[in-house]
Amino acid sequence: MNNVPALPDSVFAFPNMGEWRKGKALQHDNLFTLGAKEVDARLQGGLSRAALHELFAGESGDVATASAFALLLALRLPEPKGKIFWIGEEKQERGSGRLYPPGLAGLGIDPASIILVRTANMLDALRAAADASRSKSASAVIMEAHGGARMIDLTSTRRLSLAAAETGTLALLLRVDAMPVPSAASTRWQIRSAPSQAFPANSPGLPTFDISLLRYRGGIAPFEARVNWDHERQTFHDAPLSGGFSAFASGGEADPGIRTTA
Amino acid sequence: MRLVACDAAALAIGLTPGLALADARARVPELLAFDYDPRADERLLLWLADGCERYTPGCAVDAPQGLTLDITGCAHRFGEDEAALATDLQHRLRRHGFSARTALGATPDSARAKARFALRKIADLPVEALDMGSKTHQALRRAGLRSIGDLAVRPRQPLAARFGKACTLKLARLLEEEDPHITPRRVTPVTRVERNFAEPVARTGDVLMVIEQLAGEAAIVLGERGEGGRRFDITLFRSDGHVARLGVDTGMPTRDPALLNRLIRERIDSLADPLDPGFGYDLIRLAVPVAEALANTQMGLESKVDVKAAGAALIDRLSVRLGSGRVRHFHAGNSHMPERAAYERAAASGPPRGDWPKPDPGDPASRPFRLFDPPQHIDVIAEIPDGPPRQFRWRRKLHQVTLYEGPERIAAEWWRRKGGHEPGAGGLTRDYYRVEDSEGRRFWVFRHGLYGREKVDPGWYLHGVFA
Repeated sequence: MNNVPALPDSVFAFPNMGEWRKGKALQHDNLFTLGAKEVDARLQGGLSRAALHELFAGESGDVATASAFALLLALRLPEPKGKIFWIGEEKQERGSGRLYPPGLAGLGIDPASIILVRTANMLDALRAAADASRSKSASAVIMEAHGGARMIDLTSTRRLSLAAAETGTLALLLRVDAMPVPSAASTRWQIRSAPSQAFPANSPGLPTFDISLLRYRGGIAPFEARVNWDHERQTFHDAPLSGGFSAFASGGEADPGIRTTA
Repeated sequence: MRLVACDAAALAIGLTPGLALADARARVPELLAFDYDPRADERLLLWLADGCERYTPGCAVDAPQGLTLDITGCAHRFGEDEAALATDLQHRLRRHGFSARTALGATPDSARAKARFALRKIADLPVEALDMGSKTHQALRRAGLRSIGDLAVRPRQPLAARFGKACTLKLARLLEEEDPHITPRRVTPVTRVERNFAEPVARTGDVLMVIEQLAGEAAIVLGERGEGGRRFDITLFRSDGHVARLGVDTGMPTRDPALLNRLIRERIDSLADPLDPGFGYDLIRLAVPVAEALANTQMGLESKVDVKAAGAALIDRLSVRLGSGRVRHFHAGNSHMPERAAYERAAASGPPRGDWPKPDPGDPASRPFRLFDPPQHIDVIAEIPDGPPRQFRWRRKLHQVTLYEGPERIAAEWWRRKGGHEPGAGGLTRDYYRVEDSEGRRFWVFRHGLYGREKVDPGWYLHGVFA
């Protein structure tokens, strides 16, 4: 469905990938693309769906952006097989609002595909996330954690990533107001909201994200990119950066799918 | 202060309920008196009723101090001897220090009257057994009718004419001519399996094993009926009279013993205070109070994981462990007010419902990704009082608005308010703006009230954040 560039097999044959190869994380059919050509090319074909990815909200004000990005990643999965489990602590809804179904529908996400799990504490949330990733019924498991949750450490993230690798479930760990700590996640991203390209009459445009890859197990160098979400085609597009701070901003070719300011 | 109830020893020395406490103290200085607590009495009676469910599911509380058990067809454990059942109940009650009177009757009224007046034959019962109020009893006695036997041989018509229809009705019930049936505290489930033990079972592991066996038996019974359970209740009767109950709900009808066992274990693990077998359980019962039709399914040739069933099983497991209210999905609300347009319901209660508005092809989402409930107050500077915001302060941070769209005017639901149809009483109209600040964050803010027409100084609120 997505025009993934045909990549030679040797691209995936990284050394020191014993654990990953065991989980078959790097098989070509286990990758999913974002749809933004430059980002996919940078990722050498896309992200692994049978793995744990960490998404850090840039600031506490970026919660909505980061959580939207997490759900949209789950939406990019080819042939989603089940529900998307959104797991978090009950109390954090107060500070950052609750997921709003009409808003989800406005991004092309079917609210009926989401199961919300609101737990009393972080331990229950981690257990629920591990259970959901271990069951073969969830297409994606998104775990939302606010603040410096001590329980999210190497052990708990490793448990999640092993469960995800075993069942081929996309596991996303959404962290807000937190500093990166050592974890077993296969990638780590920072998500910020970015100024959108204005629509006619100076109205806010499509959701735009500044994403930066902070860490990638397997050697892809960190990079930054700006993407926006096209809910009609259910895909991300490369968005032009306003400044020249990106490593590849100069080479950004205009995507025909992107709308321009009138 | 008066005496409400006395024990046997007090009655023996002549103290009776209704006596003033001062008089009683004067007679018996070492009298032990306790505050009357009808609530505690009621709780105690309910506790006893729970314990009596070991004999029959049909157990009704006959306040303030009686219990009625419907033991029709329940005496098989005592060799079809109902008197043996009554003796067993007496023994158990006595062990707990209760004095009790039991009586058997074909109708609840007759059994109750026999127990209350400690008489075996209905004909010997005094007219007070009718329980018609002291005036009626007095009138009956004055007419020379002292016992139920006297009444039974009379024609009913004049009785009804003199004392009312209720009198003959009660008489018919006493004479076992009409059975009113009791209203049991719990509806008797059609499917239930139980296990009795001669020696109480005290180890939790053994208890779990028995529950597993019972789950297997229940599965067979359900399979024969072509049903699957939506709710499973486990009742553990401890030998000292305590009764523990565990309930498990499932999202889809099921009779899979393995799944059931997992759910039950999950439930036991999640108990706030763990199971305390004490001296052991001597009766364990598994009942299926809610069942739905579930056809037999044929196993596929290739063993393919049924994602839908696995998903339902996962939801059930999480609901059992965390509480069903914590695992939810979205339902559409029938309202145009943003905060009422959607709500969350327990995922185990049924499928999600709602047609969500599809986004217009050319437009970005018109509703925020995350919604604040309640909306958060912001300080806004606008160029003109009924215009879009220029900058606003939210959570001590200043946001400069660069792009905006709006207003989208959302009127209040005047029909929800009392007198809302009167002009100006229907609530404040909101003007919503979709704004983007200089850092690229997109917000949904509204002005509460139309400037000048509804409010002089309308407040601003931030209702949601866009992606």
